[in-house]
Amino acid sequence: MNNPFIRLEEVSKSFGLLTVVEGLNLEIGKGEFISLLGPSGSGKTTILMMLAGFENPTSGAIWAGGKRIDSLPPHRRNMGVVFQNYALFPHMTVSQNVAFPLKMRSLPRAEVKERVGKALDMVQLGSLAERRPSQLSGGQQQRVALARALIFEPEVVLMDEPLGALDKQLREQMQLDIRDLHRRLKLTIVFVTHDQSEALTMSDRIAIFNRGKIEQIGKPSDIYDHPSTQFVAEFIGETNLVWGTVKSMEGGTARVQLPAGQQVLVETATDLGPNSKVCLSIRPERIKVGRREAAGNNITAAVSDIVYHGDHLRLIARSDGQSLIIKTDRSQPTLSIGDEVQLSFLSSDCWVVRP
Amino acid sequence: MSVLRFSKLIFGSATVFFLIAPLIAILPLAFTDSVFLNYPIPAYSTRWFVELFTAGVWQRSIINSLIIGCGTTVLATFLGTVGALGLRDKQLSLVLTTIKTVFLLPMVVPAVVLGVGMQLMFARYALTNTYLGVIIAHTVVAVPFVVVNVLAVLQGIDRRLEQAAASLGAAPVTVLKQVTLPLALPGIVSGAVFAFATSLDEVVLTLFVAGPNQRTLARQMFSTIRENISPAIAAAAFVFIVGTVLIAIVVNFSRGTKRAKEVR
Amino acid sequence: MNAPRLSKQVISLALVAPLLLFLIVFFALPLVTMMKSAVSDPVAARTLPATARSVSSWNRTSPPTVEMQAAFVADLRQISDDQLFGDLVRRLNSAKSGFRTLMPKTRKAALDTAGSIDLVALDKRWGDISYWQAVSVAASSKITDRNLLAAVDLQRDASGAIASVPADASANKAIMLRTFVMALTVTGACVLIGFPFAMIAASVDGWKRQLLLGAVLLPLWTSLLVRTAAWFILLQDRGLINSVLMQSGVTSSPIPLIFNRAGVIIAMTHVLLPFMVLPIFSVLIGIPKNLMPAAASLGAHPVRAFLNVLLPLGLRGVVSGSLLVFMSALGYYITPALIGGAKDQMISSVIAYYATGAANWGMAGALGLVLLAATMILYAIYLRLSSERETSP
Repeated sequence: MNNPFIRLEEVSKSFGLLTVVEGLNLEIGKGEFISLLGPSGSGKTTILMMLAGFENPTSGAIWAGGKRIDSLPPHRRNMGVVFQNYALFPHMTVSQNVAFPLKMRSLPRAEVKERVGKALDMVQLGSLAERRPSQLSGGQQQRVALARALIFEPEVVLMDEPLGALDKQLREQMQLDIRDLHRRLKLTIVFVTHDQSEALTMSDRIAIFNRGKIEQIGKPSDIYDHPSTQFVAEFIGETNLVWGTVKSMEGGTARVQLPAGQQVLVETATDLGPNSKVCLSIRPERIKVGRREAAGNNITAAVSDIVYHGDHLRLIARSDGQSLIIKTDRSQPTLSIGDEVQLSFLSSDCWVVRP
Repeated sequence: MSVLRFSKLIFGSATVFFLIAPLIAILPLAFTDSVFLNYPIPAYSTRWFVELFTAGVWQRSIINSLIIGCGTTVLATFLGTVGALGLRDKQLSLVLTTIKTVFLLPMVVPAVVLGVGMQLMFARYALTNTYLGVIIAHTVVAVPFVVVNVLAVLQGIDRRLEQAAASLGAAPVTVLKQVTLPLALPGIVSGAVFAFATSLDEVVLTLFVAGPNQRTLARQMFSTIRENISPAIAAAAFVFIVGTVLIAIVVNFSRGTKRAKEVR
Repeated sequence: MNAPRLSKQVISLALVAPLLLFLIVFFALPLVTMMKSAVSDPVAARTLPATARSVSSWNRTSPPTVEMQAAFVADLRQISDDQLFGDLVRRLNSAKSGFRTLMPKTRKAALDTAGSIDLVALDKRWGDISYWQAVSVAASSKITDRNLLAAVDLQRDASGAIASVPADASANKAIMLRTFVMALTVTGACVLIGFPFAMIAASVDGWKRQLLLGAVLLPLWTSLLVRTAAWFILLQDRGLINSVLMQSGVTSSPIPLIFNRAGVIIAMTHVLLPFMVLPIFSVLIGIPKNLMPAAASLGAHPVRAFLNVLLPLGLRGVVSGSLLVFMSALGYYITPALIGGAKDQMISSVIAYYATGAANWGMAGALGLVLLAATMILYAIYLRLSSERETSP
């Protein structure tokens, strides 16, 4: 990145003997929406806490807008934070909550009033200004928390699983609302979540965390189509992992022999030496059933289970000891358990991942 | 089963009777016209209430109790609240755990033992027979109640509220003033009520530390029972019991309405 | 530990500092003062410095030397403060009676004549070696174990060995035993009433539970003096209980209920019962409601289910409650002082008597130390038990 707005440089954080974040480097551009995605305990929330200033890095440096901020107390960082449980002040009304950051900045009363009104209108809560947080629904509280974090026009907005407590429908609505706000206000957003679909829907880029390190970082489509490691392939979406041995390498295509002796063609950017063991990831929806693909890989398999999912069917098929999951649409000719089927996939849909 | 239910009912009622009846039984005696504390009450009057609020010794002792109670409340609430703020982390270091134990010890040490020590030591610094001395003595035994009450509330406060305030631009002192203390207020208030009640009821330390000029209501009641029992005691007891019930109702009611509001 | 954590610790320490300082000065220091008064014995050493020097080479069995007598007379001439002299006489007399008359007589003689005095000629008691032993013991040390020993009815005999005091002079052991027995009786009464009551309170809900708990909390919140006054009024010879008994014909003359052991036990049980009920209740309420049905479904008879499931679990509450009640009962003062007779006074009353009545700070301190130690041991056990419960739920 040419001119990153936030830069984390070799940041580590330990609590006692436990290292939560280890030598992490990350750059975030101005106006970018980046998601930190990972299982719990992977260090993503700790990164957010260090950006907000609630935790200090054990070593390393954090830069924002060209200034080093890692020793700055939270109240001098000018970052809006939205918490998982919203953290609205229960002893203040909605408008007092939203006015809080402006009062801290000693703005004139008239201006505070005007901006609070505008902010509440923006999140469609103007009519509830005098309510207490405890009198609002979860979704309404969430929008108050957003208004409060945005009203002082912070340089960065940090969100810690802000939609975790909402039900599915409301969560999807809020995802769109937040993305819309991001575009309209040109916000820089760091969004922590453990929900992969949320990250895929909303982000410009996703950083996948595992055990205190970034496993892979990139655009959602990159991450999904070209996972670089086994962990990422399994964490994002669903995948079939197949082990094999490289037989030969021609241009960008490798010929890989599966344990049962079948050979498949795999497109890869890296040069794979002959006889090296590789792990292949094949997405279930990329496997076609009942068709031979002249340019691709063809395997025969036996159907061992069929699961009905409404909009699609899932087949479990076994081929020489290898179990494969296939997602297919419902227009398939009726299959039953035990049938032999022809499976095919393109060499570009077969991706080599690091173990 | 019905035998069990029946015996439960009998035992429960008998115990409730044992606990409550003595307190109820002396209430009517406050309105006796006689100089004896006996049933049946010959005639009713309010003469003992008049005595309680106008007779020199009683009036003086009520005023003393108010002075000392208020002084104790202010001192204990301040020291206890600040101390509790330092102990609020759920994971305390060994030093702080020890300090927390020390803070609660005055509740445990027998009052007479503490009284003997205070009399000896306070005499050296001319604190015996002074209001300040009595206030200090009462604060020592009242402060654990403040610490316990404030600590309970503080530990229930979500740390993220304070983090949120800081992220919105509040400096640590502002966070304390605008978020932490307002949220801890119920605990501080109940700590203060406990501190005042403790001071009001304290006799033993008062016996050792106070002089005749600092004779409190409790001390006056103690010597009245001991020397010449009079229905003024029943009148004082009436005021105490009714006051306790009223405070209990108010506290319960305010908690109830608060909960109702939150549920809505 | 890294820097921010350290500074957090520093902030915490700064916050607890004022209260800690306050309690050190006004809570710990008085207790230390009391303990020091139990062992401090500076009067004779301060007033008889020359005697102290000359007795240091004396073997305490041979007759007193001429130098000792001269030093003693010289010391007496130096004492100008009558109050100090009075303290000295009181100190010596407490070790050996006779000094009360002997000392003023000797001082008068010492002040009246300028030269050396033959003390034995002045009063033949000075020829008795035991008087000199008392002076020697008192003057040679500023601390003493006299009070501590006396607190448990022990003393040092002429040779310095520890021995029991004669039966007719011993009182403290009896008082400690009485305190222990009374506290134990009250604890037992509280368990007998409190455990079933807490079980009933935990087994019902709604307004019934509110009522039962309210009945426990109201007395707890009511002034201790009010409760004691209530019992005083009720237990009198012409009080409510006796008039009801007499009117119903159960008795023709009042049953003595006040100024005796029964009255004290009843009133103390009433006062301390909440401390038994609340811990048991909080343990019982934490036991899952389905445990008893579970035991029943496994084939246990209700009585067996109670004995094997509820009782062992509730017992932890009983232990905490008993420790609390026993600990509080040990140091009780107000209720026995107002409702008890002379034979029902507990150790606190005796301490109060020594402190305010007899101005014998040494004995007050020594007995206070015994009571304090007993309470602290019980409290340590209580803390241990409750922290165990926290770690192993």
